[in-house]
Amino acid sequence: MPQSLFDKVWDAHVVEELPGGNALVFVDRLIAIEITTPQPAAEIAEKFADRLFDASRIVAINDHVSPAKDTETAVQAQALRSWAKRHGVVMYDVGANGICHVVTPERGYVEPGITLVCGDSHTCTHGAFGAFALGIGSTAQGGVMLAGAIIMQKPKVLRVNVSGRLGNGATAKDLALTVIATLGFKGATGCIIEYHGSAIEALSMEERMTLCNMAIEAGATTGMCEPDETTIEYLRGREAQPKGEEFERKAAAWRGLKADPDANYEGVVEIDAAKIRTVVTWGTNPGESVSIDGAVPADADAQSLEYMGLVAGTPIRSLALDQAFIGSCTNARISDLRAAADVLRGRRVMIPTVITPGSQAVKRQAEREGLHDVFQDAGALWTHSSCGPCLGLSMGVVAPGMRIISSTNRNFPGRMGAGGRVHLATPVVVAASAVLGRIATPDELPAVQAETAAANR
Amino acid sequence: MIVESRVLALPRANVDTDQVFPGKYLSLISREGFGEKLFEGMPGGRELLASKPGARIIVVGDNFGCGSSREHAVWALVDYGFKAIVAPSLARIFHENAYNNGLVPVIVRDPQAHAACLAAERLSIDVANETIRAEGCEIARFELDPLKKEFLLRGGFMEYLASKVDTVRAWTRRRVS
Repeated sequence: MPQSLFDKVWDAHVVEELPGGNALVFVDRLIAIEITTPQPAAEIAEKFADRLFDASRIVAINDHVSPAKDTETAVQAQALRSWAKRHGVVMYDVGANGICHVVTPERGYVEPGITLVCGDSHTCTHGAFGAFALGIGSTAQGGVMLAGAIIMQKPKVLRVNVSGRLGNGATAKDLALTVIATLGFKGATGCIIEYHGSAIEALSMEERMTLCNMAIEAGATTGMCEPDETTIEYLRGREAQPKGEEFERKAAAWRGLKADPDANYEGVVEIDAAKIRTVVTWGTNPGESVSIDGAVPADADAQSLEYMGLVAGTPIRSLALDQAFIGSCTNARISDLRAAADVLRGRRVMIPTVITPGSQAVKRQAEREGLHDVFQDAGALWTHSSCGPCLGLSMGVVAPGMRIISSTNRNFPGRMGAGGRVHLATPVVVAASAVLGRIATPDELPAVQAETAAANR
Repeated sequence: MIVESRVLALPRANVDTDQVFPGKYLSLISREGFGEKLFEGMPGGRELLASKPGARIIVVGDNFGCGSSREHAVWALVDYGFKAIVAPSLARIFHENAYNNGLVPVIVRDPQAHAACLAAERLSIDVANETIRAEGCEIARFELDPLKKEFLLRGGFMEYLASKVDTVRAWTRRRVS
């Protein structure tokens, strides 16, 4: 029977069928983070003689708040650290770490065809590589630590074909938000989203990660892209990947990992990339978005409007802002920072602006390219890597009523701080909006005088 | 097992786990006192809770528990005292977490039956027989995953996985060869 990409990865990992349509599914890679690992680690230490199925399949990363900001976060980080050390688990810690969904790919710990889990919902990011990657709860993570497997029912597969090429300034983030708006905020619940089509093939790995990162925001179990030469070239030479012939052997297998042409899907959705425009969210979930040229919709949900302090019909570009943030597992990789720097070069921000690289490796690369000077010359704060204010944890949390434009993934009530109002957008839109103090695109910005640009350097 | 109590009705759709348990508390390792933080992230959430003391059943809207995978959301509901959650649908990870922590996930898709649950002052949920009764009359039936129902009624998720270790190891040896 012809199979989807997901079917092939699933079949290669089913250990055994279980009652009730469940399966025991082998896990190739576990990303263990400080927020969700200490609890199952303590339970296993107490009740299961501290056993671990296979330490070599685990990567530990202190990521959400690192370095620790207070006693609680220090205790968490130390719990992960001591557990990793006790079991010989490879660990990325203060100075070499960052957001786990940025660190894992850049170190080469994800690859096509594997199963990967982590106690974080944005684990779907790694589907960009053609892996089956999903977020799980702490108890399920304990099961993986103990037995190397998860229990789950096989999800359905939804195929999203994106034809043509992105243009008109639209980015992978705009595509991700458009997919969510098209399918609906819970439109892909119970399904894997398999992305296909010429527009997907044209995306870089960083763009594919941005796209797959937001699959969860449509309710999907995860997102997946077919591996190709772009995938292989990204992984070549990465720390956790073999070198030489061994890598080439793996790459040859990855090249064969494609959906069969006549595979069956739960549904097929067609999207024309050329029609995608720059979008911004106006509401309180990522499905509530609109073209940046548009207005708050007439049929907008009343509770969302009340929380956001908006009235229907208000033009999006007229919305005045209190803060801007570029960061997160969605949009804080080097290409995102380069795009933001291109907007900010020679300009000044009007509102408090925080720029947080996705990992320490991204930070170092940005600094080699002088991007940190561009940001700081523009008056923005350039920080170390962290999840930061994305989930209201640290380094730029907003106050009640504050309106923030953010390159992150969730605009839920209170997400970036109690009472805070979040508008999700691309790094380029966040940068342009920071300069004008209202929601804007770079084409609205006055041209930078050559001498001003030079003086600011 | 029968769960019977007053009902807390929260009809709103898409209540995400940041509203159930705000991210700023994710740095807590111990699960103690999580109930005190329940719904702190939801506008009017704490007031809603205070309006129905003693409720052990919460009836919620579509797609409850979406967003972050934090099991803390379920821990907070359980710590507060909830034993069952009734919804037209639950987000995948939340649903799984509910099974693993003894919070009975009751899916009632039929809009009329769900509306009846929301309107009820008290409900009686028969977990073993998968039925819901209000004022002595059956108003809805639901289905639980037969395997996870065992974990729900008797616990033992981790013990079950521990019993599979040899099977998984044997599988990995076959896979390599």
